Amino acid sequence: MNRFAKLVPRLSIATLLMLLVLLLCAALVIYPVVFIVAESFNMGEAGVFPPPEIGLHNFAAMADDVDVIANTLLVAFGATIMAVTIGFILAWILTRTNIPGRPRLERLMELPYYMTPLVGAMAWGILAAPKTGLLNQAWHVIGGHADLFDIYSPLGIAWVMALFEGTVAFVMISAAMKSMDPSLEESSRVMGAGKMHTALRITLPLVAPGVLSAAVFVFAEMLGAFAAAFVLGIPGRFYVVTTAIWEATQSFPPDYGRAAALGLSLFAAMVVALTIAKLIMRKGSHATITGKGFRPRPVDAGSARWLLMAVAWGYIVLAVILPLAALLLTSFQRFATVILSDSIFTLGNYQTALSTGTLGQAFVNSLILGLSVATIGVPIIGVLTWIIYRSKIQGRTAIEYVVMFPQAVPRLIFGLGLLWAWINIPIPIYGTLWLLGIAYFTVFLPLGLRTLAGVVMQIDRSLEECARVCGASWMHQMRTVSLPLLRPGIAAAWLLIFIASIRELGASIFLMGPQSKVISPAIINAWLSSSSELSAAMAMILTVTVFAAVIVLFAVARKLTGNPA
Amino acid sequence: MISDPRIEVSGLTVRYNDVVAVNNIDFAIQPGELVTLLGPSGCGKTTTLRAIAGLEDPSAGVIRLNNETVYSSAQRRNIPSEKRGLSMVFQSYAIWPHMTVAENVAYGLNVRKLPRAEVDQNVRRVLDLVQMSAYAARPASKLSGGQQQRIAVARAIAFSPTVLLFDEPLSNLDAKLRTEMRVELRELQRRLDITSVYVTHDQEEALAISDRVIVMNHGKIEQIGSPETIYNRPESIFVADFVGAANLIGGRVRAAVDGSIVFETIGGLMLKAAARPTGSETICALRSAYITLQRDADPGSNTAHGKIHRRMFHGDFIQYVVDWPAGQLIVRRPPTEMIEEGANVTIAFSPEHCILL
Repeated sequence: MNRFAKLVPRLSIATLLMLLVLLLCAALVIYPVVFIVAESFNMGEAGVFPPPEIGLHNFAAMADDVDVIANTLLVAFGATIMAVTIGFILAWILTRTNIPGRPRLERLMELPYYMTPLVGAMAWGILAAPKTGLLNQAWHVIGGHADLFDIYSPLGIAWVMALFEGTVAFVMISAAMKSMDPSLEESSRVMGAGKMHTALRITLPLVAPGVLSAAVFVFAEMLGAFAAAFVLGIPGRFYVVTTAIWEATQSFPPDYGRAAALGLSLFAAMVVALTIAKLIMRKGSHATITGKGFRPRPVDAGSARWLLMAVAWGYIVLAVILPLAALLLTSFQRFATVILSDSIFTLGNYQTALSTGTLGQAFVNSLILGLSVATIGVPIIGVLTWIIYRSKIQGRTAIEYVVMFPQAVPRLIFGLGLLWAWINIPIPIYGTLWLLGIAYFTVFLPLGLRTLAGVVMQIDRSLEECARVCGASWMHQMRTVSLPLLRPGIAAAWLLIFIASIRELGASIFLMGPQSKVISPAIINAWLSSSSELSAAMAMILTVTVFAAVIVLFAVARKLTGNPA
Repeated sequence: MISDPRIEVSGLTVRYNDVVAVNNIDFAIQPGELVTLLGPSGCGKTTTLRAIAGLEDPSAGVIRLNNETVYSSAQRRNIPSEKRGLSMVFQSYAIWPHMTVAENVAYGLNVRKLPRAEVDQNVRRVLDLVQMSAYAARPASKLSGGQQQRIAVARAIAFSPTVLLFDEPLSNLDAKLRTEMRVELRELQRRLDITSVYVTHDQEEALAISDRVIVMNHGKIEQIGSPETIYNRPESIFVADFVGAANLIGGRVRAAVDGSIVFETIGGLMLKAAARPTGSETICALRSAYITLQRDADPGSNTAHGKIHRRMFHGDFIQYVVDWPAGQLIVRRPPTEMIEEGANVTIAFSPEHCILL
């Protein structure tokens, strides 16, 4: 019949479109990774593709980097232990006790993440650098002799990483604690077991897989962490794998083989760790994760709850208030000092930051990138989300897999791959904002997909089906039902991608050119080459921009949760 | 006069990969009828309903609505949901939280681009019908379950569809509200004389509300009939067991000497049965409500001695577990017939109620 005639081409167009989308995603995501792999086996001229000569030389040469690998493991272990300890204590305090002001504290816990590791590391550099650090200065003023802290030490670097890159530990552990059915504990109590016995025999075993999984996950993150190791390690020539990769590309001639071999090994190590984390989670999940949102009955901490509240606030002070205060103070001073009578206050740093040709331009470029990547990316990711989670089209799981893939690749390595990939393509976008835009879109695909998928899944399918049954066409249903319900989620995804773009460092550091500077790498350059006062001013500008977006995001999120779909 | 059926389903099959959810089923529904699809979860009843609505793509068969073919695998015809002119009440109610009550109800009317006055008039009319007029301006997200249910019904009938589909509409309500809404829905359906297909897993609800019941199991139709037929004359062990409370007594049919039909139970009891067997039956189904425990049984009844093993008081009835030669028998008696546990009783029931399967 005539309807049949209409049906067939529509189907094949859908399939064709699907193939196109799949190919495009695969090209964006897989293509750069191919270059990393190729380069790591390349024994001929660096950066040439396909490699003229193939061999394992680059990997054999990693023997010379044993000290770098040892440094990486040392810092990653230290940071993981600190991050998980902090995360566990905070998660327990905030999910299981009745401390005053719990909801607000829970909100504040997100702030260290938005501080960004780069800003956090610089702030702690200003606070605790040997001799000049504000805390050390203060210590000397009150009569201390040797330095109190050395943030440039491995321990210092691990501390900063734990504070700003380990926030995921808190998120994962509190998720494990929240998802535990309180009746499991209650039945233990009813059977006659005491508080202590219940905690040891029921609560701990149930939460353990979540905690262990979080620990392995955080360890993987720490292996790939870059900003803190860069800001605090480079001055003392203390290299970890990520900073060694950067160093290899900056040497003359650039040692791309070393960078690629180190990068691929790091990627492999992270994949192994993340797989282990997932396995632990799956193995332990039968008891813990039921998918329901429980709110376990909080333990009455009695008078200790004020102490616990102080601990939680102590974390906020160390991770947000103290660093921001140090940055703020320094950014208005000519020379960073804690002795206020000695200090010369000035607006000069901000003037320099905003006016100096390239610096001001970097900020403008970042804004342009943030706005356009979010605005163009969200509709595209929206369509992808719809294809993956709502359509019945074949091959949608393959698309999901490809789209989520950048999550597994450290940004730094992705940036490196993109660099080689686009140098080898005769489209002249290397050194332009276009390349950065494409890179941002690619690395933020998983972020956008996860955010939008969360909202799409919340919307009951029958809400859409009902519109169709009532006589609405697909377009009409999208316009009157789906999109209005998705709007807060779309806004949240836009803001998250905007924030992520503004603060992006790992991929940008390789991809920005003299004419396409962006803010985070520019701050790093300022930190290394000019004064910490100027960098502080730039960091403040970045932080204020991000926090402004975060405030809007929180408002949107409130609307999102206040409007049950 | 028999008019053309409103809904005609023939050879309908729905497959998900290797799983056959609905397996080659046929039925027809007359105008004004309320027909229930009844069965356990996973029996294919909801899939059948969704296939009629156009929300599920069948693998084979024909679906006709108002003499128009809306789905046909042979003709490769599949009219989209919004062009089928039917309406549906969803299990989750599917009330759009971003609209007011009136906007929800007006949706189908606005889609049809009716003039404003007509839309308003219809919204008022159906909100009156479900007694929700006072809530018209409320945001729909601020309603209780029962209220959402009413709005879902109002929205479904507002644009006067020819066919109304119900997907377990009462399963999210508490027991008391459920029985109340059951009466209201039936009342409304009768008043509007709207052809309805109603999916439920609650056999009591199905018997109470329907003109006819279609019992489904494993994607196939077990039996189609009026509620009385389904209850009194089950045609399969599944129907006897799933609908109402029945004793399934094992045994075999004995050679009938004098033309009467005799069933020998496990434990050696001889029961007279009325229905003609094929001779290979192994089960005698006996409704718990049709058994008496009085001494004065009608002549011609099946009788046996038994002893009350357990008594459970349910309020509207008393359920006895009675030990008898064929094992244990479940008997339901009115709450006025109180018998002590351990008492000896005479069990009696009519041969008519012995359904051989």
